[in-house]
Amino acid sequence: MFLNPWSLALSLCSLIVLVLGAVAGRTAVRVLRFWEPGSDSNRQIRLENAIWLSSTLIAYGLGFQIITLILFVLAADEFCQVIVGAMCATGALLANPYGMPALLIKLVGVFFYGFWILLHQLDIRSEQYPLVRLKYLTLLLLLPLLLLDVSLQTLYIAGIKPDIITSCCAVVFGESNGGGSNLLSGYSQQGLLLAFAGSIVSLAALGLGLGLSRRWRPWLAGLYAAGWLWFFGLSLVVITTVISSYVYAMPYHKCPFCLLKPEYYYFGFALYGTLIPATFFGVSAAFAGLVRGRPGLAGVVARYQRLAVRLSLILLGIFSGLSFYHYLKYLVSGGEG
Amino acid sequence: MAQRNLEKQLNILDYALSSLWRRRLKSLSVLLVFAAVIFLLASFQMVTKALSDKAREVLVHTPEITLQKMSVGRQEAIPLAYRDRLAGIFGIRRVVPRIWGYYFDEVRLANYTVMGMAVEEMPDGARLDTALASGTMPGPAGQGLVAIGQSIKKALALEGRTTFSLFRPDLSLKAFEVSGEFSPDTDILTNDLVVMNLADARDLFAIPAGLVTDLCVYVANPQEIDTIAKKISETMPSVRVLTRPQIQKTYQVVFGWRSGFGSICLLTALAAFVILAWDKASGLSPEERREIAILKVLGWQTSDILVVRFWESVIVSGLACVVGMTAAYIHVVYFAASLFRPVLMGWSVLRPDLHLLPRLAAGDILLTLAFTVIPYLAATVIPAWRSATVPADSALGG
Amino acid sequence: MLIELSGVSKIYNQGRANEVRALSDIDLGVEQGSMVCLKGPSGSGKSTLLAIIGCIFPPTSGRAAIAERQLARLPDRFLTLHRRETIGFIFQRFNILPELTVLENITLPLLPLGVPPKERRQRAQELLARFAISHRARFPAGQISGGELQRVAIARALINNQPIILADEPTAHLDTALSREFMEIMQQLKEAGKTIVIASHDPLVFEHPAIDRTVTIQDGRIHVP
Repeated sequence: MFLNPWSLALSLCSLIVLVLGAVAGRTAVRVLRFWEPGSDSNRQIRLENAIWLSSTLIAYGLGFQIITLILFVLAADEFCQVIVGAMCATGALLANPYGMPALLIKLVGVFFYGFWILLHQLDIRSEQYPLVRLKYLTLLLLLPLLLLDVSLQTLYIAGIKPDIITSCCAVVFGESNGGGSNLLSGYSQQGLLLAFAGSIVSLAALGLGLGLSRRWRPWLAGLYAAGWLWFFGLSLVVITTVISSYVYAMPYHKCPFCLLKPEYYYFGFALYGTLIPATFFGVSAAFAGLVRGRPGLAGVVARYQRLAVRLSLILLGIFSGLSFYHYLKYLVSGGEG
Repeated sequence: MAQRNLEKQLNILDYALSSLWRRRLKSLSVLLVFAAVIFLLASFQMVTKALSDKAREVLVHTPEITLQKMSVGRQEAIPLAYRDRLAGIFGIRRVVPRIWGYYFDEVRLANYTVMGMAVEEMPDGARLDTALASGTMPGPAGQGLVAIGQSIKKALALEGRTTFSLFRPDLSLKAFEVSGEFSPDTDILTNDLVVMNLADARDLFAIPAGLVTDLCVYVANPQEIDTIAKKISETMPSVRVLTRPQIQKTYQVVFGWRSGFGSICLLTALAAFVILAWDKASGLSPEERREIAILKVLGWQTSDILVVRFWESVIVSGLACVVGMTAAYIHVVYFAASLFRPVLMGWSVLRPDLHLLPRLAAGDILLTLAFTVIPYLAATVIPAWRSATVPADSALGG
Repeated sequence: MLIELSGVSKIYNQGRANEVRALSDIDLGVEQGSMVCLKGPSGSGKSTLLAIIGCIFPPTSGRAAIAERQLARLPDRFLTLHRRETIGFIFQRFNILPELTVLENITLPLLPLGVPPKERRQRAQELLARFAISHRARFPAGQISGGELQRVAIARALINNQPIILADEPTAHLDTALSREFMEIMQQLKEAGKTIVIASHDPLVFEHPAIDRTVTIQDGRIHVP
């Protein structure tokens, strides 16, 4: 179903991101082939300029990726109005096998751009530009990711077949299996909440340990990063199965996407807007440690790591507050408010 | 450190603003053209949004399930007796027969929608009496009583009279008396509507006794609509079963299709604009080259200049968006989208005087941004980089 | 030595048909607090030498240390970072942006440093008062006289309190009186401890008593008479 403003906007944005990515990829190939540190040849001057082009393109790419991620979810919410059996965005995304993978790849893209920008920011802080090769090799990985993103999205949009009343058959009973509105089920709410709260406490303890200790311990940072990855997944499950239904005040409506709608005061934006950067900072503290040994980077990396741990802890606090808010409100008011 | 960085960004933003102001003629011309493109796109989106909202509002009044008899691929009258065959299906609250059709008035060259219905049999929420501005709905007892919409009143030129006549198929006249009038608020639904009781409608269209055009099924639990529809369809294979969600989805698709089609047409305007933006941004005058080279000698980084260019693009496109979308909103709400009406409507000879009021969510604004600001930013990024990499030594003489 | 060059060469478009050897094998040391004039006809390479001292580009070969920092093999980004802390530039024709006000022109180097507006104004006003042009602060720079323009250009080179002042043919488009005034200001700055390098072939400059040393450049080499 391409003839719909949401599909068109998504396709247009993807096309733009693809073009920008291709330009950045061309730069990457040239830098990898011709980079000569210390030379003042015209080519080297052009390559040094090209670094700014690629970093700007990737920064724009990150911005556009975040916007398309939101657009994609909102578009799914719009599509559900034309798909039989879909009550909300979850149903629309499950309408064909490409919806969920497309969403996940978009999310991966956000993290990818984020890590690349971090790599770039670390690199330009050292006079030797020690990460140039690594940076541009990584950039080449972006292109397949973008292609995958665009293909999945296109397949998803193409696969959405709106059910129009035709003169011969009026009702389509095909896939209306009654459900389609719940992504996950069969988890115990109490158990999940306990695991969630436990993870928050352990992450906070780990983070404080990392931030307060004088010496930076790489294994602890690794543990912290792993903890964040686990927590990210767990949070998505908990948001879907527990938090969302308290926000909607409807026990059987478990959807991680409706949270983004104006009916719920765009609550989801605050929730995901803290969880995603928090995870990024939590993971990137260990990630940055990998390039600590490169010339001229030790101090820069150490400063970034402290900052990242502090930011991830602050965001973790806000996220926990947000996620328990509706639950506690429900407990206090007994569901009357 | 962070403080310094923030100050730096503010300084650069400040410089970008003053730089736009210095080239105000160029900036303003880009802004106005961009705002015009956004105005067209946003008006289109707002009109379709408002219309589909209206349609949804209207559909609230339609029955949950409508049954029609099909024969030779066409709709024909359905026997009232079919009601009895529905009796066995659990979950049906009520079945109300309806005669629903169009009457073409050859004298006034207008098309009316005629609905004959046993109003008193309908469930409370579904009755149209809430839409009445004055009078009452025609009951089963009164002969020749009708409730009419605003444009019918105008077409018949009643002016104080309450009676009029329409032709039966055999060209004999049937007299009617107006007992109620629909309020202009529900125009999209009631504008060209004439409501009468079942007997009068049957008389007007000469439909044999025991037949109606369709049966309206009201169900007890809206969640069971699909299940009940399925059962009905299995019991009576020759009957076409229309459910309200189904009709709703069809409307959505049609509106989405129209909106998409319109967007594609307007994308050409956008493309033209993007080319213009690229052209404007990439034509680097000697003065601009000199300015950038001076800044770089004075200690500005390539990335600082890139940020200046970024802010310039964001300010221009942001302002254009505000101007374009505000203008679009005024166009749609206060001028009833006069530019697009012929394209988007036209499903009846009588054009309802619609009052459109789009409910804009953040998502709709994001959609417009995705159509306009993102292409603009993308079109200006490479020219911006070109200008930011002007070498510093070109400011030195000799 | 605040400026220390040894064996510095600069080759433009190396390895191409239009290769140009602009400087070869330059050795030059400038003490802190001294004033040096680079003399030579146009095209002799003195502008290139000034650009290397000014950290605008690195030399192709040789060692160049400005304010105790090696420039060779430094990417453009770090050259700029170093330049804005150490070098104040006075251009030929002064290169003032005519549409900006005098105050805005003077504070341009402070914007990327993240200096807040209030402090910027304050610093600029001190300098404007010192050069007796406070009354022109709000004027567009395109509307002030040549003498005032010259003082604005000098003020801009001093705004970040850089230790080194570089001037590229500053008197080429000035009359005698303004040229004398320029050199007087330079002399004051020298006495205040600034290190000054002026590229010029104007006798008013290189014969000025405040000049400690004149270096003649010819065909990209230091000419020893």
